[in-house]
Amino acid sequence: MRQILRQRELTSDSWRYPDEAGSGAQALPFATIVAAAAALPAGSGVVIGPTCDVRLLAPCVGRLALIVVHFEKNGDGRGFSQAQVLRQQLDYRRELRASGAIKRDHIFLLARCGFDAFDLDPAEDAQAALAELGRFSVAYQQSSGTLVRPRLRG
Amino acid sequence: MYRYDDIDRTFLTERVAEFREQTRRFLAGELSEDEFRPLRLRNGLYIQTHAPMLRVAIPYGLLSSRQLRMLAHIARHYDRGYGHFSTRQNIQYNWPKLAEVPDILADLASVEMHAIQTSGNCIRNVTSDHLAGVSADELEDPRPWCEIIRQWSTLHPEFYYLPRKFKIAVTGAPTDRAASEVHDIGLHIVRDASGAAGFEVLVGGGLGRMPMIGKRIRAFLPQLELLAYLEAILRVYNRHGRRDNIHRARIKVLVKSLGALEFTRQVESEYAASRATAQRLELAEVERMRAFFAPPAYRNVPDTVPSAGAGAAYLAWHRHNTRAHKVQGYRVVFISLKKHGEAPGDMTDAQMDALAGLADRYSFGQVRVTHDQNLVLADVAQDTLPALHAALVPLGLATPNIGTLTDMICCPGLDFCSLANAGSIAIAKQIHEQFDDFDYLYDLGEIQVKMSGCMNACGHHHVGHIGILGVDKHGEEWYQITLGGSASGQVALGEVIGPSVAKARVATTLARILEVYVEQRESGEESFLQAVRRLGVEPFKERVYAPDTAAA
Repeated sequence: MRQILRQRELTSDSWRYPDEAGSGAQALPFATIVAAAAALPAGSGVVIGPTCDVRLLAPCVGRLALIVVHFEKNGDGRGFSQAQVLRQQLDYRRELRASGAIKRDHIFLLARCGFDAFDLDPAEDAQAALAELGRFSVAYQQSSGTLVRPRLRG
Repeated sequence: MYRYDDIDRTFLTERVAEFREQTRRFLAGELSEDEFRPLRLRNGLYIQTHAPMLRVAIPYGLLSSRQLRMLAHIARHYDRGYGHFSTRQNIQYNWPKLAEVPDILADLASVEMHAIQTSGNCIRNVTSDHLAGVSADELEDPRPWCEIIRQWSTLHPEFYYLPRKFKIAVTGAPTDRAASEVHDIGLHIVRDASGAAGFEVLVGGGLGRMPMIGKRIRAFLPQLELLAYLEAILRVYNRHGRRDNIHRARIKVLVKSLGALEFTRQVESEYAASRATAQRLELAEVERMRAFFAPPAYRNVPDTVPSAGAGAAYLAWHRHNTRAHKVQGYRVVFISLKKHGEAPGDMTDAQMDALAGLADRYSFGQVRVTHDQNLVLADVAQDTLPALHAALVPLGLATPNIGTLTDMICCPGLDFCSLANAGSIAIAKQIHEQFDDFDYLYDLGEIQVKMSGCMNACGHHHVGHIGILGVDKHGEEWYQITLGGSASGQVALGEVIGPSVAKARVATTLARILEVYVEQRESGEESFLQAVRRLGVEPFKERVYAPDTAAA
């Protein structure tokens, strides 16, 4: 079973992604969720890609329990903006997970943007990634993260 | 100038530790080159033709003498005894060893300097007017705003992996000395009808393969809205900028493809949606920053003109390498890094150390880097100018050619850069040899020659009054000439005059172009740029490609 770094704990994932068989709750593709937004059951999950406009989730954001932002490749920054909009403008409070090309060197800034769960690249060392959450004790910007809380000026 | 507090020091210490660990992992084979590249780039480290190249940030071009001494130390201890000042007011070292870079960064941190975000697809070092705070035409000193932007953009959690590099320039005077209209964002301090200060915001300027002049998307942005508005621009770009083609990834391409109106609409819409949660900027913070840039303790010195008996060398230097200062009795002194025989923008460790001493003695311990690769002592009392000149001459730092043809901008070119097609440094030498008569240079007046070794345009050739671009033709170096570009005032991109010329003919081509100018200028008052604008490129083209000369 897939291991997820969630709230600083390495835990087994209870969710299935859209293309996965098996038991347990299944996260759905973005288009499916947006189409069903008006009647979406509470506790739903969604997987979004880099081009999705997360503001389309506004009508159903309160009924989502999981948003997985998938990073197709190292260095694609779009997911960082998606997270900021979800946390700051749509006030999404539940699990926000980064999946795909996620390495320890991305973790700190992802957490600053509001990600609180990481489905790491299979080659990455989860303990080393966890340690990176403590990389910086200070920062220059306000941000939406709760997993890391660097000290700000003033 | 800005001084670090506990937050800045702690951050930088942690940053150096992070890069030391990343370098260790790379050298141990735990990180692949592909994985390490974005990490090292965001710490200023390129892999170039001969060795790594380290680009150290000089925020908005301002250095203390202590920092300049550290740059000298790094040149001496880790490199080959010199550094190269770039067109973005930074300094580059061409010969550091990868394993020693974390130590270099630690040394830099000890004097409140770093190499963060001087490369990579992120917000780069913010640049500004090298006459900030000392020019009479200034509305407001832009440097406090530069420092605010520097801090905001440093490891910005959302904007660290942009589609492409992102450059911001800020000016506080109507005369643009920062080439702000060819930056991704140009910010001009302006006043509205009520006298309140704000920013005019330009977006989408840039050089490179697709040169463009920035489009004005806001005539007036209240000052305290700056970060919220920058955030809106960057978010639109981060979401919609192209990531499939590196040559189409700059924000200028997005602005062009959407059209300035639609781009503006999207930014304003994002600004409206995000303003409540965006980074707040408090007046108290702005005032805190302003205090760092308060004027130094000027003496009461009368204005004087140099006496005729001062000697021809001093008079030429005074006339060409110093400029008016807003405070009575003071002058701004330019230190030319364009000496014949030296690569433009290069400086040795000994020169840096000596200049640091002169800055302490004559200019309140500060030095500035200009975007045309010279240095400035901004606050020199006029009664000390002769002593300063006498000290600069033996250092080779008093070449009286500021603003003349040989004060050219030049990228490192083939000699160092893995992208270059052309040896811009050799061409600079050729031009120096062709135009070694200072009286002729002075007669020609102000001419900006800007030279790039490739399409990436680090040497800003598009906005040179005369632009020179190195192109590769079947493995040979050829040079394309443009005329009429300008980075300030009426900003313009130069026009190509015709087929590129062979390497051996660059300086003689310039000589022909200048013959036409000298023959056709209206009175002694018409500058080269004005003449090109009036005449168009045709007469120049005719002379350059005339049959009797083409065979030469």
